[in-house]
Amino acid sequence: MRDLYKRLNIGPFASDEEVATAVEACQHTALKSEALAVLNVKARREEYDRLHGLLCDIGRLRARLGLTHGANWQGDVANDFSLKPDVERSRHDHLMEKLSQAAALYDTYQRWRRHCPWIVAGGFATITLLTLGIGFLSP
Amino acid sequence: MASTRFSPFELLLLKSRNQTDTAALLLLAWVAVSKGSLSPADRQRLGDMAGSLRHGHDHRLVLDVAEEQDLQAIQLAAEVLQRDRWGERALPFLSQAIELTVQDGNLAAASYHVLGFLADLLGVAPQRLKQLFLEVTGTQFACSEDPSRASYWQARERTWRQREQERQREQRDTHQQERASRQKRQAPPFGDKTLRALTILELDASATRSEIKRAYRRLAQAHHPDRFFSRGEGDVATASVRFQKIKKAYEYLMKDARFV
Repeated sequence: MRDLYKRLNIGPFASDEEVATAVEACQHTALKSEALAVLNVKARREEYDRLHGLLCDIGRLRARLGLTHGANWQGDVANDFSLKPDVERSRHDHLMEKLSQAAALYDTYQRWRRHCPWIVAGGFATITLLTLGIGFLSP
Repeated sequence: MASTRFSPFELLLLKSRNQTDTAALLLLAWVAVSKGSLSPADRQRLGDMAGSLRHGHDHRLVLDVAEEQDLQAIQLAAEVLQRDRWGERALPFLSQAIELTVQDGNLAAASYHVLGFLADLLGVAPQRLKQLFLEVTGTQFACSEDPSRASYWQARERTWRQREQERQREQRDTHQQERASRQKRQAPPFGDKTLRALTILELDASATRSEIKRAYRRLAQAHHPDRFFSRGEGDVATASVRFQKIKKAYEYLMKDARFV
């Protein structure tokens, strides 16, 4: 499986006309005939796009997980769908960070409630009053 | 504040009793979704697989996430699974994934690449994956499909055309058979004379034209008067009477249009 869009130097969401012009302008005769056969027929292009999308996803996942040189990832597919490692971080680290942030927020709330309960209560009361006021004013 | 909000899959993972099992379930659902859409049979199989896992939440929530093909959720699941199921410990998971990919005996190109990704993720060598695939499905792990080549489409459309022609031929055949059987049913029952002729040829009412011919040849050879020449005039005379009877019965039946 090759990435015909990449080889024709167009985006995967190019319109039929853009694809037709790119194919027309292609200098490589073998690639031109194949692209003509695959991308210029609507039903074929739809199915090709489905697999293309999945392989792009796999390529991105591999890039993020450091698997661009896996033993099961070889040939045309690996050549065309391997991406450069991007800035996306480990999702697990990201989740842990979010979790610790949420925990810190909860701690702060608890501390405030313990030390100055009247501020917390006042805050809640203000919010309730505001909501009620908006509720009265809005209709 | 938007970054501190948890996505649906992150929430599932946090609430799960066993994070690895939840992650495995999401990846299995992704394997099933990548084939195309999630069929009821796939849902059933995933439900069965979820029964053996200890995730402690409704597996349909995970299927919903997988159907959206949310790349971040899949990445998170891959990271969790990679931590806990590396090498040999990944094999049960991989065989479940293989079970999901194979549909009426053939492997789609998409599934081939997904399985390759999972094997690389979990540190399973290509050789081991091939062996496992052979054990689970009894077929070779290979993918010859390449939709980026014109030859793939030509071959594929040729098989489509052949299948279409076969279908039409079958339809025609059944149509003809129906017509023939209707004719047979409508035909009047055999008369006495026909039945007698058939009895002479040692056949019953279900005989076909070719059977009548074969029976006639056999009996004509057995009862031919020339065979009885050495036994004297009397035997030749009786044999010739019998032979005449057989011949007449045969000729009578051959004139009957009901024996097709």
